[in-house]
Amino acid sequence: MIFDSYEAYKQAGFKPKACILGSGPAGTTIARKLGAAGIPVVVLEAGSREFSDESQDFYRGKTVGDFYFDLDITRLRFMGGSSNHWAGWCRVLDKQDFEPKTWAPDTGWPISRADIEPYLAEVHDILELPDFRPDVPVSDDIRWVQLIKSPAVRFADKFGDELDASKNIAVVLNTYATELAGDGKRVTGAKLWSNGQDAGTFSADYFITCTGGLENSRLLLWSNQRSNGGVVPNATALGRYWMEHPTFEGGNAILANYSEFEVDASNEAFFSPTLAAMERLQIMNFGIRLIETPYPNVKRLIADLACTAPSMAEWMSSKLDQNLRCAAQLYVAWEQAPLASNQIELSKTDVDHAGVPRIELHWKKSPLEHRTLLEGLKLFGTTMAAKNLGRVRIDDWISNGADYPTNEETAGHHHMGGTRMGTDVTKSVVDANCRVHGMDNLYVGGSSVFCTSGQCNPTTTITALACRLGDHLSKVIAV
Amino acid sequence: MSRIIKKMSRRTLVQALIALPMLSFFRNQPAVVDPDEIVEVNGWILRRSDLA
Repeated sequence: MIFDSYEAYKQAGFKPKACILGSGPAGTTIARKLGAAGIPVVVLEAGSREFSDESQDFYRGKTVGDFYFDLDITRLRFMGGSSNHWAGWCRVLDKQDFEPKTWAPDTGWPISRADIEPYLAEVHDILELPDFRPDVPVSDDIRWVQLIKSPAVRFADKFGDELDASKNIAVVLNTYATELAGDGKRVTGAKLWSNGQDAGTFSADYFITCTGGLENSRLLLWSNQRSNGGVVPNATALGRYWMEHPTFEGGNAILANYSEFEVDASNEAFFSPTLAAMERLQIMNFGIRLIETPYPNVKRLIADLACTAPSMAEWMSSKLDQNLRCAAQLYVAWEQAPLASNQIELSKTDVDHAGVPRIELHWKKSPLEHRTLLEGLKLFGTTMAAKNLGRVRIDDWISNGADYPTNEETAGHHHMGGTRMGTDVTKSVVDANCRVHGMDNLYVGGSSVFCTSGQCNPTTTITALACRLGDHLSKVIAV
Repeated sequence: MSRIIKKMSRRTLVQALIALPMLSFFRNQPAVVDPDEIVEVNGWILRRSDLA
């Protein structure tokens, strides 16, 4: 069932056991799991079926520190959530991403990759993925990894009819919780806002917040403030350890053999370090995206020339009315070390139309990350040269330690952490089952529970964790 | 020293003088270069043999 307002939903007399906040990949997946288990669940979606400026306005905020995207641009607030602008790039976090790293504080998850592997078959169905091939070792330091570009499933488009036809799932559009109320043991209710106005209070046996990697922290910070600590009793880590995948062009490469690495439809191949290399150099995980430019004949010559004599190549390229670039381009995205100082705070001066403080995001890349970028490119370049697979050039700004450029990709629009998973209540917000520490009926879904980010796009892991949480809740709620 | 030279035949002395420049071959001998050594030049990560 899908309703356009809370008023319409109330008239239907639906009696849910659980309330999910948000209809993105996590919220929709958990709802489908609960619905399939025969558990009545309501999904509150703040936006409508389509994008609107009015809805996006609730996402405006401010960033302090490094340059970052506008907070109302980097995510979407309507049915299906940020799956509506997802590019469809898929890979699950590596086994090593779940392990603690002695050289990087506050790393390591309370679960292992084996805990989500039983759900990967479901994830492949949801995201329409073929099987991943195993990583291929290129050297002792570098793996050739696979990142699958799926059809970019829009969750509202794919599952909208199923949700509408479901007797166990009610989706309420234009409606969201401005705050949860709690007594330090349970969430006792939620204040709702629907179609631009106060819609009263709402209660359910269980609440699952799936509002995104920025908004989960905002909702819980504000709720906790309003309930005097009654929603997140152990709030030391709430909003903290926020992470992104910084992404920059890192250099160029001339390849010895363009058929050495099978590329995807975008002429791209991906490479990551081995755990042994990360340990030896004491760096974080990273992913190198090699974009081949398979020009034929003279164009290839000019493109290769662009690596060593860019001005000459540019002139020759212009004569051919082409924009030929150095043979292959290298982009690097990397794992941020989790830092408590990278955090989501509530603005002290700016509120949205419902009176909820907007986000103030404090985000800064650390020296370890610049070292990861530089050493990562050196590792890749050394492997390519040693194996005679090609030659790599590292961009000057990286070698010279200059500032990060502001005219590039910057990051992946991947919002992770803020309500991270863990066993230490001073350094985490939820337990291994995504339940808020100390709360009986409050759970968190989505990438805000990530302890570390790995190097790959998060949606595949988000969906796997949502399948796992859906299974867990089905058992808990059915009791 | 002069006593040793006096004992040497003139022929031996001339041969020794002729061979003297050869000593330079044993001095400042360049290190053996590994053509597969990885080097960085202007941001490029290369094999030393690329520079030949």
